[in-house]
Amino acid sequence: MSSFKRKDPSKQSNLKSYEGTRVSPASSSTINTSTGISSLDDILGGGLPLSCSLVIAAPDLHSSYGELVQKYWVAEGLACGHRVCVIDDYAEDFLRDLMWYPKSTLSVASEATSGGIKEKEGPLGSTFEDEEDEPTPTDRKVKIAWRYEQMKPFQTTVSTPSLTSENYCHVFDLTSRVPTPVVNEKLVSGKLSLLAPGNPNRTGGATMSALRQVEQVLQEQSTVPIRICIPSLGSPATWGDITPSNALQFLHSLRGLLRKYPHGCASITLAPHLSSDNWSGSGWLQKVGWVTDASLTLAAFSADPALSATFPSHHGIVHITALPSPSTLVAPSDRFSTLRGLASSASGFGGSGENNLAFKCTRKRLIFETLHLDLDGGVSERRTSAPSSTAVELTTATGTSISASAAAKSHDHSQGTCNDHVSSGGPRIDIEFEGPAVPEEKKAVVAGELIAPSPQPETRPKKPKKKVAFFSDRPDVYDF
Amino acid sequence: MFSPFDIPSGAFTLITDELSAPADFLLHGAVNACIKEHATKARVPGLRAKSESGAGPTVLVLSSSVDLARWKAISSKQNVNLAQHLTNGTVKFVDVACEEGGEMSLSSVFNSISATVGSSSDVLSERLVILDDVSTLEWIGFSPLDIMRFVRALRISCHKANWTFIVRYHVVTPNEVDEQLQQLLGICTYHLDVRPLYSGRSGAVSGEIALHRGAAARQDEVKLIKRSGSLQYRLLDTGPVYFQKGTSEGVL
Repeated sequence: MSSFKRKDPSKQSNLKSYEGTRVSPASSSTINTSTGISSLDDILGGGLPLSCSLVIAAPDLHSSYGELVQKYWVAEGLACGHRVCVIDDYAEDFLRDLMWYPKSTLSVASEATSGGIKEKEGPLGSTFEDEEDEPTPTDRKVKIAWRYEQMKPFQTTVSTPSLTSENYCHVFDLTSRVPTPVVNEKLVSGKLSLLAPGNPNRTGGATMSALRQVEQVLQEQSTVPIRICIPSLGSPATWGDITPSNALQFLHSLRGLLRKYPHGCASITLAPHLSSDNWSGSGWLQKVGWVTDASLTLAAFSADPALSATFPSHHGIVHITALPSPSTLVAPSDRFSTLRGLASSASGFGGSGENNLAFKCTRKRLIFETLHLDLDGGVSERRTSAPSSTAVELTTATGTSISASAAAKSHDHSQGTCNDHVSSGGPRIDIEFEGPAVPEEKKAVVAGELIAPSPQPETRPKKPKKKVAFFSDRPDVYDF
Repeated sequence: MFSPFDIPSGAFTLITDELSAPADFLLHGAVNACIKEHATKARVPGLRAKSESGAGPTVLVLSSSVDLARWKAISSKQNVNLAQHLTNGTVKFVDVACEEGGEMSLSSVFNSISATVGSSSDVLSERLVILDDVSTLEWIGFSPLDIMRFVRALRISCHKANWTFIVRYHVVTPNEVDEQLQQLLGICTYHLDVRPLYSGRSGAVSGEIALHRGAAARQDEVKLIKRSGSLQYRLLDTGPVYFQKGTSEGVL
């Protein structure tokens, strides 16, 4: 008889199976928890694994997207039945603004308790885009080339899970607030704890005190996953004057604690002044990425009007610094993330890189999606006919128009005027002068260079401005 | 040990890496190769007696954050049962950053392992010490001077006992060489530089490796790999697949 014994897959993993979690597709020994945002789960490779820590850097002082991600984290923990600990002096205010299920879901749930009812998709059950943002066309039948008819619509984000799916990645509505009785019930039952870091006046005191409290919580029980939430690490009011060494030691020690008690996981947002890469010298965010498991930066456009104008449908760019890989050499996100697109590029032609990612906050939810540049010049300024010459018209600050040429072989300097025409196929220089005549030495034009316009006695008829593809009425970022 | 690099045993190799291209795979590869070599020689009856005569661990990993679960999971993908070797003492992990009596001290860590490293015996298999990593120790509060003294003391102990010594250093500012890195470059024998691609992350190429000679290396001992012709690799769960820069052999 053969001594071969088939491995029993059910006995492979020695891990407990927790409510509200999923086994990672990359490794059966890794269990993922949802952040509450389906697109962020996708970026992380299915969710944040247990025993891992996630740090969100949000450098913009005028927005609070980092804190919003933490609210999703806590709301998801409450919805899944996990134990949640919020470490902040103002945790009550933080919880008051927690989002919750859409009102339609709550009404469906109340109907369901009275009798059987089929599952009903709320407004967030649609895929790809938020229906409130884009008007649904009445006629979806677009005449399109036959080869593209079977293709799916262009996707920029992952689909939202349906409302009655498994206990993972619940659908929350930003216009809906968590009911106070729910919060009170969780506080009383011990499923929700609010911890204060401790004395911020002692250097390093707040971080050491917070670590002790976290260890206490992790030691208490291991029947349900524990979610640690720090909405604003480094904020002066709660944490005092935190030094870079304190912060890195805290994150490093927190990761050590999570490894020691692998039923816990943590999500931390850095205070805005700690989210800048130049804090404590260059390479700060790299250091944070090394001492944690996952690290993202949500760089909002609030402080940069040029970026807001360039990407009007997004609110910020996502930079990925580190991704969790608790039991594999390759981060699961590299293989399984749809938004990052590395998996598809590896199997296809094998050369393309990952997608740029951005986020936007609609009225009802926060979405991470791929970022794509518009056509060169913008869709509204597209050139429809070939220009007569390759002349490019520039406008100086004084308003005098100069047509620039790449090369001019010879120049004819005529008195009072200076109109150089290059007869070759290249672009030409036209210099118009307004005002009294100027000495000839000032009129000399060197090949390929421009000179400041000099006033000329004759008034020339103003030529209409030629619109070219990249000409914009809006001020260019490089206009000084 | 460092396949496909020809680094001889007993050398002090400095491995530098960046967050976009971590060099975990090199450390795992070195440990697993050492374990496999030890296991192979242990099966030979004549050699087994020599190797088992109270020799101590074959591999000593000094880590700033010991993550045994990850080491075991990755080793199992490379067909090495790390748990068994931990049990029988072939591999030993030491947490360098743990606090003793409320204070972190590298000298106490050195004192506890110097006996292990210094005990040279007639074992025929290669022995390995890995310090992972030096930069994190500085970030979490160890004094740079203490760290360099620790590294130098370990280097001397390993050199006397002919142990291979590997130190890992994280580069956070790619275009700058800070003081600690300068000092490490001055005492290492070889420098393995792991970097991400300049154009960013790619699905097909995970990074590239260059091998430079350190101050203590002899001329022409090992074939070096310049930065311009660096060896590229693609990381899989079972380990890296190497290929020459600009080619796609065995990858695409």
